[in-house]
Amino acid sequence: MPYSVKITMFKKLNLLKRIKSRKGTFSCDNLSNVFRFKYSCFKMLLDSNTEFLKVISDIEEKLQGQQVFGMSYVRSRAAQAVFHTFRMVKNLDDLSGHRYSLLFDVLEKINLSIKEVLGKRKEIPQTELILPYRQINAEMVDWVGGKNANLGEIFNRVGLSIPGGFAVTTRAFESFLAYNELFDEISRKKMEIIPDNPETINAISKDIQQLIVSAYLPPELEKAILLAYAKLAEAGGDGKSPDFPFRVSMRSSAIGEDSELSFAGQYLSKLNVPSDQLIQAYKEIVASLYSPRAIAYRLNKGIRDEDIAMSVACLQMVESVASGVMYSRNPFNLLEGNIIITAVWGLGPYAVEGTITPDSYTVAKNCQIITAEISHKTVQLVSDSEGGLVEIPVAVEFRDKPCLSPEEIGILVGYALKLEEHYKCPQDIEWAIDKGGHLFILQSRPLRIGKQNQSITPLLTSYPLLIEKGAIASAGVGFGPAFHVDSDEDLMNFPEGAVLVARHSSPKFVMVMKKTRAIITDMGNVAGHMASLAREFAVPTVVNTKTATTVISSGMEVTVDAYSGRVYRGRVPELESFQSTREFPMKDTPVYKVLREVCDWIVPLHLMDPKSPNFAPSFCRSLHDISRLVHESSYTEIFQLSDFVSDKKGIAFKLKGNLPLDLYVIDLGGGLRETSKNLNRVSLDKIVSAPFNALLRGMMHEDFQQNQLRPVEFKGFLSVMREQMLSPPSTVERFGDRSYAIISDKYLNFSSRVGYHYSILDSYCSQTPNMNYITFSFKGGAADDIRRNRRVRAIAMILKLIDFVVEAVGDRVDARYQKHDCSLIEEKLDIIGRLLQFTRQMDMLMSNENSVEALAKNFLAGNYNL
Amino acid sequence: MEIIHLLLVDDEEDFRTTLAARLKKRNLDVTDVGSGKEAIELIRKKPFDVAIVDVKMSGMDGIETLKQIREINPLVEVILLTGHASVEAGIEGIRLGAYDYLMKPCNVNDLLIKVEDAYQRKLFEECHTQ
Repeated sequence: MPYSVKITMFKKLNLLKRIKSRKGTFSCDNLSNVFRFKYSCFKMLLDSNTEFLKVISDIEEKLQGQQVFGMSYVRSRAAQAVFHTFRMVKNLDDLSGHRYSLLFDVLEKINLSIKEVLGKRKEIPQTELILPYRQINAEMVDWVGGKNANLGEIFNRVGLSIPGGFAVTTRAFESFLAYNELFDEISRKKMEIIPDNPETINAISKDIQQLIVSAYLPPELEKAILLAYAKLAEAGGDGKSPDFPFRVSMRSSAIGEDSELSFAGQYLSKLNVPSDQLIQAYKEIVASLYSPRAIAYRLNKGIRDEDIAMSVACLQMVESVASGVMYSRNPFNLLEGNIIITAVWGLGPYAVEGTITPDSYTVAKNCQIITAEISHKTVQLVSDSEGGLVEIPVAVEFRDKPCLSPEEIGILVGYALKLEEHYKCPQDIEWAIDKGGHLFILQSRPLRIGKQNQSITPLLTSYPLLIEKGAIASAGVGFGPAFHVDSDEDLMNFPEGAVLVARHSSPKFVMVMKKTRAIITDMGNVAGHMASLAREFAVPTVVNTKTATTVISSGMEVTVDAYSGRVYRGRVPELESFQSTREFPMKDTPVYKVLREVCDWIVPLHLMDPKSPNFAPSFCRSLHDISRLVHESSYTEIFQLSDFVSDKKGIAFKLKGNLPLDLYVIDLGGGLRETSKNLNRVSLDKIVSAPFNALLRGMMHEDFQQNQLRPVEFKGFLSVMREQMLSPPSTVERFGDRSYAIISDKYLNFSSRVGYHYSILDSYCSQTPNMNYITFSFKGGAADDIRRNRRVRAIAMILKLIDFVVEAVGDRVDARYQKHDCSLIEEKLDIIGRLLQFTRQMDMLMSNENSVEALAKNFLAGNYNL
Repeated sequence: MEIIHLLLVDDEEDFRTTLAARLKKRNLDVTDVGSGKEAIELIRKKPFDVAIVDVKMSGMDGIETLKQIREINPLVEVILLTGHASVEAGIEGIRLGAYDYLMKPCNVNDLLIKVEDAYQRKLFEECHTQ
């Protein structure tokens, strides 16, 4: 379970309680206890909902097939998904007084199906401590880590040379830790970490690393490593060359969800290790799992120690004459189709560290050298006879000489093409050439293309540009005739091979994602639900173009460049070659197929519309369905609870004041000044809760006081009325429903239904910025779906502009603002107060798309009277 | 504020004593024992509010201990601890009435928050069973 998020969530929920406990005894007749109980359920439910959605997006990413993963990944993700769904169901059931018990059975059925899928694939547990590369391939990532698995794959399946060597497996890692009982010892030490205090992280990191480095290897492991080394040395010609004693490089090859971390070179690698330092180097590399940055990274990402392990790559040291890096494509211009090679004299680290400027070549696929920039290379890195590396001067006659001959460049290009073809995506390759002129691949991994928000394809001026810049929701290139989608009917009629053009993004588009070549929308969010579906289906998608529906007419042929967010009119041959490269190596593996099958029980969402009669437990076919249903129902439950309590004297007080709201206040402690148990009303001046006062200030802003609400536009009013009359009675909320503020001196939970929408605001506001937060959810509204969504988008836009982290899904916005001074929290609450009043007028005015932005701007400019 | 009576059950002595010491500093009344069996004996004798139980113990495991605790005194809220990635055990535990479960290693502050939550839940349950 990702931990850090949980922590903050529970910190929050607990505040409520600590405030109360300080006040003393717990009295059974106090209904606020019921509140506390139910709110704690509600928050646990929301917490698990967040975690569950994270699991889903992570699975979706893996389903793209570009990252290697093993069965342990599939199992742990499936288990987490089940656990969080279970926790949601459990808390809803508790919250509602056990009216949702049916959901347990539904969940159990899905869980059984998942287990069945997982059970099909029996793993052959790997018991070897050491594996030579000829026995390793990409599917063995759980036992040898990503780096080793890739090297094995390159050697055995791509057929390229790698240095001789072996992997020390994760089984060896486990036996090392177990032999020294280090699992528990490390756990114990880690308990002392205070996550937001870097000093404790540094201190504990030092302790743990010391512990590992000074521990002993199990005798059989030490023997196995030394034996494998001896065999390698024999084959590698140890003793034949007195100048170069046999040495190895030892590189970290971690497993777990830390590709980012290993990418950034956070784990230790040691070059030129002599035999007598082998064991020590192994321990140091294992210890690097607990470097301060690695610990901090895992804390932040919520990665558990159980999910990580270190395998080590032990490779014959190539005493390279030249070495360097090669990109199978230009990462900043995919269109070029050229290969980029950088090279230095001696060992590789200087090619990437920036110590010297390497030679740089741009080479076409046919090996023609397009550019060669030969730099002045004064120093190089070589192996030191004592072990380790040493910098020496480059002989004068070599300083300005190219490191590579045209023949060598030709071989390198051939390697790059083979690797890209095998992995089906551009590669970032490390290579070395030894004295005998042999070329070795030291590493190959997916090339990181461009930087975020950076164009990686150039603007092609010879074609009419329709859209210059949109947000890239799913990268790729697509060509086809445009087809506008405004309604469900349009989706039904969607032609095979067309490009979908719409005003805003919608998860409903999933229906045509297999038919469509690309999606372009005026509005939309790259982190939205549709965007993740588009990525899953590998549909090139550009959102937030503002003008797609106006500049692209139906039937017009367009080329969508979703690498750079552009759209051209007509066919663009230069981009066409990128259209079909969507198959990735993981997709052929059995592990991938299992994930795919498991995913069918977790990810698809069938319950879309809460108003549909099918929005019920018996229609849940995936964990996503269950979580959606639970999430939706939890809000209803919370409101019913408030309704129930509001009539009780001495618990809920009706707020007297000039507010157009039926507002009840429930004090948990210290939120009100001297209230009498016999009264059922309270005046504004009695409120001492800081966050509540801030919110009220905003709601009672003079601009809302002076003016009557704007008369409803006739057409808008009609559509509100129509909806009210057409909707089934059970789903029509009443106008003027009650709103509730549950408060203490520093806490506020404000839930309100005004008109057809509801909003829930939760905030803590104290002298300790780290504990302070605001969470705000807003949902629904009168009028049809389109207007409702427009309003939600306007609110999302406003919240984003005042620094909230915002998520908008369908007709709901969820926004967060946390860890700020109480003065800032109060300022934002004031704005939300105004926003709540403002929104009452909004949906009537949402007659067209432009009104979204216009309203948001008006609001922020302080023009509340529309 | 009333003091919370906590029972800590874990057969891993180092971990248990360190945790107990740290929780005591936070003003909790902590009793720690090294086995499920001892825990059961204590539960019969003394009223506890919350129990923290390690899932993976030799002899009587955490799930069995949880079952018996809930049988003897259903008002004791149980928080399960697990050092291993066993979500199944977590679900099974909650199904059997555990308040929640946490993964080891856990930060003492988080654990403390969880204990207080469980305590509140216990007070609530008390009110509703009387």
